[in-house]
Amino acid sequence: MAKTIVIQPVTRIEGHAKVTIQLNDAGNVDTARVNVIELRGFERFCIGRPVEDLPRITPRICGVCPWSHHLAAAKACDAVFGVEPPPAARKLRELCNSVAYMEEHILHFYFLAGADFLLGPEADYSVRNVIGILQAAPDVARRVVKVRHLCAKMLETLAGKPIHPQAAVPGGFSKPLAVAERDQLRAQAGEALELAKFTIAFAKENIFPKYLDVVKSLGVITTGFLGTVKKDGALNLYDGQLRLMAPDGSYEDFPYDRYTEFIAEHIEDWSYLKFPYAKKWGSFSMDPDKPGGIYRTNTLARLNVCDYIDTPLAQTELEAFRKAFGRPAQLTLLYHWARLIELLYNAENAIRLLDDPEITSPETRVKVTPRAARGVGCVEAPRGTLIHDYETDGEGMVTNVNLIVGTTHNNAPINMSVTQAAKSLIRGGKYDQGILNTVEMSIRAYDPCLSCATHGLDGKLGVKVTIVDSQGREVGVLAN
Amino acid sequence: MEASVWEPDEGELPDFCRKPTLILGCGNILFGDDGFGSAVVEYLTEHRQVPDNVCLADVGTGVRKLLFTLCLSPVRPSRVLIIDALDLGAAPGELFVIDPADIPAVKLDDFSVHQLPTSNLLRELQETCGVEVRVLACQTGPLPEEVSCGLSEPVRSALPAAADLIAARYFTKHVAT
Repeated sequence: MAKTIVIQPVTRIEGHAKVTIQLNDAGNVDTARVNVIELRGFERFCIGRPVEDLPRITPRICGVCPWSHHLAAAKACDAVFGVEPPPAARKLRELCNSVAYMEEHILHFYFLAGADFLLGPEADYSVRNVIGILQAAPDVARRVVKVRHLCAKMLETLAGKPIHPQAAVPGGFSKPLAVAERDQLRAQAGEALELAKFTIAFAKENIFPKYLDVVKSLGVITTGFLGTVKKDGALNLYDGQLRLMAPDGSYEDFPYDRYTEFIAEHIEDWSYLKFPYAKKWGSFSMDPDKPGGIYRTNTLARLNVCDYIDTPLAQTELEAFRKAFGRPAQLTLLYHWARLIELLYNAENAIRLLDDPEITSPETRVKVTPRAARGVGCVEAPRGTLIHDYETDGEGMVTNVNLIVGTTHNNAPINMSVTQAAKSLIRGGKYDQGILNTVEMSIRAYDPCLSCATHGLDGKLGVKVTIVDSQGREVGVLAN
Repeated sequence: MEASVWEPDEGELPDFCRKPTLILGCGNILFGDDGFGSAVVEYLTEHRQVPDNVCLADVGTGVRKLLFTLCLSPVRPSRVLIIDALDLGAAPGELFVIDPADIPAVKLDDFSVHQLPTSNLLRELQETCGVEVRVLACQTGPLPEEVSCGLSEPVRSALPAAADLIAARYFTKHVAT
């Protein structure tokens, strides 16, 4: 009898996702769908508010990447007001972005995905968690804690507080950086760089080789990619232009405010989350054999679309990565590897910015005047390209808002990777906890942000498997 | 390998690790009663004298950033109180003090930091690390379907009682065992 496996975590308000795996009569996977219910009403809530409020409001969409929302909102406000922040403000914003990235990438690698790799996907749920990591590798865990705290202190120095930031304002940055603060930050950034160097060396020696077979097989799909590059093609996470790369490696570059010419949003009746796709590539399809318009964002995408990285250590790592996996690299679990190259880049970038004398200039803000306009702000959030698109009236009040967050871009690819993983792992109707966690790993590689939801604090998705027959009757429950 | 290889210097760890008592208000102020935890912190700050040995913080939707550090830090508070809004099927505004040990260990609880924040992790913090952990929870009214600031009247009315409870238990020099 055909069965449906439902992997369904339950959350209250921030997000809700379940994985439904439909088995056929032979017990093999027919389809797999990741159904997401996201925050609703946020865009509508912003309408009628002064646009300068949005950089303060949007970081509270969720607590996962507040800095990304803060900076995308500030950039959208710049565009609405038609101003260009002074160089020091731009550099301070980019510095905050890089520091926030380091904090997030360290968190993901060591704590969220790390449990899978450090302890193994088959490890018991009771030990495959943060405390388990501490016990398995106490030196590493505490070094990681120290640097994450350093990153939080750096953001506090730069912006006054590390949570729910308010420092970026339309037209610039509210707090110039004192020379003494810069010197302190420079030392802290150096320590973060050392951890970044250690981390990628550690992973390349101890983790990636061990799991290379899994990397080559789990959740593998072929797609295009979207990310931000500078005009010369270099990787940039704060500013530049969007590059949409087809699966064959060809690409088009375009400014942020033309994103609607390249990206459309498909709707499925089984998910509240839209499915952005590259509309110039034909009609939307998640058929893994004949995908239509599918592209990915986030770490792997950014490393694929950029021509090079303009910091030396990260560039060396990128060259080795491309030598091993080509360009564009398609293996889904390479997101983890790419994440560590980005960690290295951000540490180097932070140092570069702090070594720039211009960053301590007191000129960090220009005056803004309300006007009727449209403004698009975009940054690369740790989890993908983040687009804030605002329209205002002559008083500077918001009349329209559209947000595309990083995870939304990856909605279709996540569904495709889960389908591929489930099909490869579940055969003859047989599955167990290890298999389910391995399916989860294919989602975790994307580091999705279904608000805070997809990350359990111990690094796992909440999973409850309900098995129902083709008539919808529950025939069994499997839960961690 | 010894676990205590890192001897942190003064200032190398944040207040929330070093102070003996840690009180964290959690929630999203954009979602009605979900902002209860943040509102309690604001109320305490305005109406009470917070002792020096207490770290009181509105962590909003960012609690996980602190909890990760807290879990792995070599120096931790002896008591942690999480203030949050929950749906326990009671009357809106009703308060509960919950011991994580009394919460069934199910993986679902780890899915969200707002679903009684990370109850499995809090339990591990208590059982493995010797930290007394409690959750002060307030029963919410219906949560808004769309973004909406401000507490409902029953939940707002619970603020003084919550403050009294916290002050009596945590704003004294007595350290519970």
